[in-house]
Amino acid sequence: MNTIETKGYHSAQKIFSRLRESSFKIITMTFGLVLAVFIVALLIGVVTHTTPQALLESLLSGEIQFAIRLSLITSVISTIFCIIVSVPAAYALARYDFPGKNILNTILDVPLALPPLVAGVALLILFGTTSFGKGLAEAGIKFVFTPLGIILAQFFVNMPFMFRVLRSTFQGINPRYEYVAQTLGSTEGGAFWRVTLPMARNGLMAGSIITWCRGIGEFGAALMVAGSTRLQTETLPISLYLNMSCGELPLAIASATILIVISLVSLFIFEKFSGFARVF
Amino acid sequence: MVRVENISKNLGEFFLKDVSLEVADGEYFMILGPTGAGKTILLETIAGIYSPDKGKAYLNDRDITRLPPRKRNIGMVYQDYMLFPHLTVEQNIKYGLRSRKLSKQEVSQRVDELANLLGVAHLLHRHPGTLSGGEQQRIAIARALIMEPEVLLLDEPLSALDSETRAKLRKELRRIHALTSTTMIHVTHSFDEAFLLGSRMAIMNHGEIVQVGEPSEVFRKPNCKFAAEFLGVTNVFRGESRIDNGMAYITINGLRLASTDNREGQVYVSIRPEDILVSLMPLESSARNSFQGEVQDISDAGIIVRITVDIGVPFVAAITRHSFLDMGLQQRMDVFLTFKAVDVHVF
Repeated sequence: MNTIETKGYHSAQKIFSRLRESSFKIITMTFGLVLAVFIVALLIGVVTHTTPQALLESLLSGEIQFAIRLSLITSVISTIFCIIVSVPAAYALARYDFPGKNILNTILDVPLALPPLVAGVALLILFGTTSFGKGLAEAGIKFVFTPLGIILAQFFVNMPFMFRVLRSTFQGINPRYEYVAQTLGSTEGGAFWRVTLPMARNGLMAGSIITWCRGIGEFGAALMVAGSTRLQTETLPISLYLNMSCGELPLAIASATILIVISLVSLFIFEKFSGFARVF
Repeated sequence: MVRVENISKNLGEFFLKDVSLEVADGEYFMILGPTGAGKTILLETIAGIYSPDKGKAYLNDRDITRLPPRKRNIGMVYQDYMLFPHLTVEQNIKYGLRSRKLSKQEVSQRVDELANLLGVAHLLHRHPGTLSGGEQQRIAIARALIMEPEVLLLDEPLSALDSETRAKLRKELRRIHALTSTTMIHVTHSFDEAFLLGSRMAIMNHGEIVQVGEPSEVFRKPNCKFAAEFLGVTNVFRGESRIDNGMAYITINGLRLASTDNREGQVYVSIRPEDILVSLMPLESSARNSFQGEVQDISDAGIIVRITVDIGVPFVAAITRHSFLDMGLQQRMDVFLTFKAVDVHVF
């Protein structure tokens, strides 16, 4: 007992003497700490704003259930489209050298820099007012004020995330794996499918998670293209917006809580996969 | 037979310039050159990874210049093994057989055969990431050989290994070559490998082949300044070694050298020029090798002067400018060369 106390006293003394050595360290660390406290407090504030009972009730309400379902469906579909388009594009830009490569890389990043509202307006103009968009609508593919528009908006805004993660993943895989596979009877496509893509598994997972998570949270662009019709194009963020504007606080908080949980879980999974992405 | 004719390829940093080469069936051919000489692109162009900007490649008189790698039946082994990390050792070895439409039984029979040949049968269910460099390289060789390639290309296959494993695997390569008589083209920057494995060798520099010939010939008679400087080892001779009382005695053209490297039979011997003492009178020392000869050539390179002395075979010795002036050496003078048995490198 006595020795433990002495030990505790000594280690405390050690800590204090170390701290005295570096006030700079303390100051910088304080900033980090304050920031972290601020973030955690905000999240806790949202989740504890109503009683657990009211929260549960809201979560089980038809409107929130609809929003959850619509968000999940649209975000999964838009993520799948992001994968389908980004895999070949990211591969090409990781592997090949061609004139205009830098410009192409920059253009593919543009949606990342664009405010989502502007992206939404641009999509609305292309698919709502041009003969191209009208032709599609006549053929039955309507984007304006439909869930399809939500998918389109999520795809356009989040594609760069998938693209960038995959591009750096492919860049990290030595092309000689494919060369060897080709000398062992594989076509270029076969080598990609059987060797490079499985090796890119972790990057693909990380990219999918972040794309999906951002899809769930997509608001501005989706609002422009699909509007905010209750029980029609009402995703979780749209639901949050609608219920906030008409004072239905418990419903708004229910949406917010789900979005927080999804974000935290996604962040955790993303860190895990991108952390292990270079194990091979 | 592999033949490349006037192949040029520009990949920016690395390039090939008008390379022509012919490797006979069953030959073990070495390509030696410094980093950046274009050795790897040459192999990759032969394998079909790159199509050349200019020139032609033939395999057994069949034009393969535009053929994709999978249709060439040329195997490739890299320095860093390039085993597929998501597959087990067994799946790695049988990767190529998928394109061969064999029955399951034939596949597993072939895998066992190759795994036994390379001594990796006990590793079949492991993943490559958990294996040592030597084990990984054996698997990479097995994976290439299972295709029964007409030519096996080896890109510095031993460079990433520790010296003990390297020596073991070098013997293995020789054994596999004798057993399968596959044509091998092996790129290296190690003189020892070139000597011990190659029946012929080429020296590459700046994307060009500067010399082709038998290793001993190329080492003895470098045809240009680059080859001479790159090979560096000036005193290389072929001789017969006998061991007597714990000491090796190598007879070269009538000359008898003593060495502490105990190796018998047909060997190569090298002595570094700076390990040779030059004197006007016989030296009283414990060094076992002392010979008299005539100075044939003097090349003055500043602080160091290299002199060539004929003691039955031409030996090059490097001495300081100071002792060169001290002795007042001139052509045709008789001098004594003395070197220790421990400095006679036998391989």
